[in-house]
This record gives sequence, structure tokens and C-alpha cells, in this order.
Amino acid sequence: MVSAAKLRRAQERALQARPYAQMLTNVLKSLVRRTDLFNEETGEIMHPLLIEREEKNVLVVVIAGDKGFAGGFNSNIGKASQRFIDGRHAQGQNIDLEPIGKKAIGLYKKRYPAAIYEHKEQLYDNDLAKHIEDIRHRVAPVEVAVEHPALLLKINFEQVSAMATSIIDRYETAEIDSVYLVYNEFKSVISQRVVVEKLLPIRKLGTHEITVLEEMTEEQKEAAAKAAQESGVSIYEPEESVAEQEAKKFGTADVDYIFDQAPERLFRHLMPRYVTTQIFHALLESTAAEHAARMTATDAATKNAGELIDKLSLTMNRVRQAAITKEIIEIVSGAAAL
Amino acid sequence: MGELQTNLELLKVRLVTPDRVLLDATSSAVELPSMSGYLEALYGAAPLLAELGAGEVRLHGGSAGEQVFFVAWGFVEVLPERVTILAEIALHPNEIIPAEVEAELRHGQMLWDQAGDNQERYDEANAVTRVAEEKLASAQRKG
Repeated sequence: MVSAAKLRRAQERALQARPYAQMLTNVLKSLVRRTDLFNEETGEIMHPLLIEREEKNVLVVVIAGDKGFAGGFNSNIGKASQRFIDGRHAQGQNIDLEPIGKKAIGLYKKRYPAAIYEHKEQLYDNDLAKHIEDIRHRVAPVEVAVEHPALLLKINFEQVSAMATSIIDRYETAEIDSVYLVYNEFKSVISQRVVVEKLLPIRKLGTHEITVLEEMTEEQKEAAAKAAQESGVSIYEPEESVAEQEAKKFGTADVDYIFDQAPERLFRHLMPRYVTTQIFHALLESTAAEHAARMTATDAATKNAGELIDKLSLTMNRVRQAAITKEIIEIVSGAAAL
Repeated sequence: MGELQTNLELLKVRLVTPDRVLLDATSSAVELPSMSGYLEALYGAAPLLAELGAGEVRLHGGSAGEQVFFVAWGFVEVLPERVTILAEIALHPNEIIPAEVEAELRHGQMLWDQAGDNQERYDEANAVTRVAEEKLASAQRKG
């Protein structure tokens, strides 16, 4: 019941976050139509997050949970991300891992070493400012670059924004050549799947470049539907809210907008926010999926415990009855002997 | 008839943050902190798309009444009958905690000290400081 209530809240939060994401995507799409993405003279791409490079160093952000007892939620993410990492490693790519949630951190800390950064500070000649640099020394092909143990405690946009800024910095300085998110996508209680989503470079705005790593089995769907029914949670994907419908119209009216600033400048400022919103969205979906998995696991455990109690009660009654019968026989036999 | 006309001349205003739709109301005028200075939207305004900086969104009249929100970075779409504000941070001035803002100011100063020869880092430090200063000003105006 507690998981069902948490699931409802998580689902609601994911829904409430949709209008912002939709509006941001709309503005970006609208700007793309008004901006030259390529420099006319040099032919270079105008924004560093659109530049595609050969994938030599790949960052994989894995979103799991903080707690156990959620059925196969954490282990499914672990297995699926490991398959993805092994596949990339086999292609000769270096992998940086960025696990979110204590379960993912625990898993990868045991398997791979932490990335080593050498911190360098140097005072400028005027003694007023410092030049700060963190130099990376790679010792293994797969390393844990950054951990996020507290991000899931209370998912807030500001923290996600700080994380996204760090990822974008590493992408822009070519420390990494691509970024993937591995998480549990949540549509409804019976429609969840482990997916890997390509976050960077951005190839097409407003679309999720997703590869499915693991789908729910029919049995899992059935168990989830039963648990949802007993907890009073809907198994259907929630309908689009009015705010969401309105959000789709944002920045797309059939009029000639006056742009208060140059579209190129707006585009530059929007791109990092777009990446942040994608991560934020994945975190909210993953949280809803975790609560759904926990609700199903709790329901199955409650049922199993009930069956066990029934079985043990029956055994207890049988043993008690046998003891009483034995005692009566002894008394009756004793009385007959007199 | 006069009242009907007045109702028709109200703007629909919606303030959306990454978390939720914070405000959905009508208003007769909306002041917005655009990157190039404050602008005011009235019913029938020309279609406009603008980036918002740090400052106050002020609503006057309509079902929103007199309301103020502190916003930091966002976008606004102004249409003749509707204003939609997309804000990364939106707070009521009485939700601002001065001690936290002081910490943000110190953080901005630290970023400035560590910016070295990187122009982008100076810009980032300036942005953090500017948001904190505007936040503080908004809290003080309320107080």
C-alpha cells in the first residue's frame, strides 16, 4: 500500500514535468527552423553538442534505485547495462560509468576502479587568480567516473542541472565522445522496459534515440496488473492533461514571432537545458518504475507469506490434534486398565 | 456589456516550471524580466518569443490579482490573448531564504576567483551572482 501511494505520487510528478519538457523542445524546434546550424563560411556545426565524433570514449549513465526489495528492478538494470558495457568494450571503446542510486554504485564500485584525476592549481603572475585544472589519468578501459549517491533522495532540477553541466563540459572538451543513459522507462504499471537512450551528440531534437534492452515478460505484466488492481492503481497510461495539450502549442502559433534576442543566441542557451530535461525526465520515469516494481514485489511477498501462514497453521493444528488424540487414548487406555 | 468586454480583454497566463504548472490564471497585465530589460504584455500584444533573465514576473488584475514571482532563466511566449512563461526557477518572494542566497553569493564569488583565464567560467560566475542578487532584492522588496 505504501509503494502504491508512492507510485501514484511518482507517476503524478512525471506527468507534471511533461509540459516544461514539451515546451522547451518546441522552442528548440522553432529555433532550428530560424537558425543556420552550419557556419556559412567554414561549414562547421554551430553548437558543440551537435558535433559527432568517432566513439572512442563513451559515458554510460546508469540509473538504478537506492533500496532493494523491488523484484528484478535493480538486477535487470545491472544485467542490461553490463551487456551494453561489455558490447562497447569489445569494440575497443573506453567506458566511463556514472552510476545513480546506491544499488548501481555498489555494483560498479566492486567491478571497476574509480577514475583518477590530478588536481592542479597555479597562481597567476598577479597573485589574484588561480588556474585550476583536473587532469584525467586513465588506468583501465572501464572506470567509474562520478557517483551520485544522493540524487534519488529528492530529485530536484537544480541538482540534475549541475550533473548535466558537468557531462556537457566533458563532451565539449572531448573527454567523452558520446553519452548514453540506461534506465527503466515507465509508461504504465504494465508497460515498462529497460532502455538505453543516446543523450549526446544530439541528432534529432524532440526524439528519443532509444534501444530496448529488456522488456517485461507476460508473467511479470500479469503479476503487475494483479498488484495494481489490488492497490487501486490504474494499469493504463494516464491521459494527456490540458496543460500538456497546451504545452504542445507553445512557440508553434502560426504567426511571425518577434524574437527579443537573436535566435542563434537563444539556441545556444537552450541546448544545455534540453539535455538537463532529458536526464530529469529519465530520473522521474525510473523512480516511478521502481515504485511499481516494489508494489508488485510487496504484493507477491504478501501473498506468499499468507500461503505460508495457512500451511503452517494447518501443520500446527494437525500436530496439536495428534497430541490431544494421543493424550485421550492414554487416558482412555489408563481408565480401561483400572 | 462593459463587464463582458473587460473579461474578454484579460490575458491567459500560465507559469510552467520543470516540476509543475505553478500558475494558470487570467491577468490584465504581465511584467516580465526579459534578457534585454523588463517588458510588459497587455491584451492584444504582438507575438513575441523572449529569453528571461533573473527578476520578477509581476501580474496585475484578473483572477491572478496582484502577484509576484521571482524567476531565474526561462522563456516567454506572448500571443495577443495568452502569455506562457517557462521558468527554470520560480518562487514566491516569501519562499526565498536570505541565508541560502548569501551562500549562493559566496559561491558566485568563489567561481569568479577560480575562473582563471576561462571566459565561459567568468560568465557562469556572473550569472550565479546576478541570480543571487536579484533573488535577494526580490526578498527585500517583499520584506
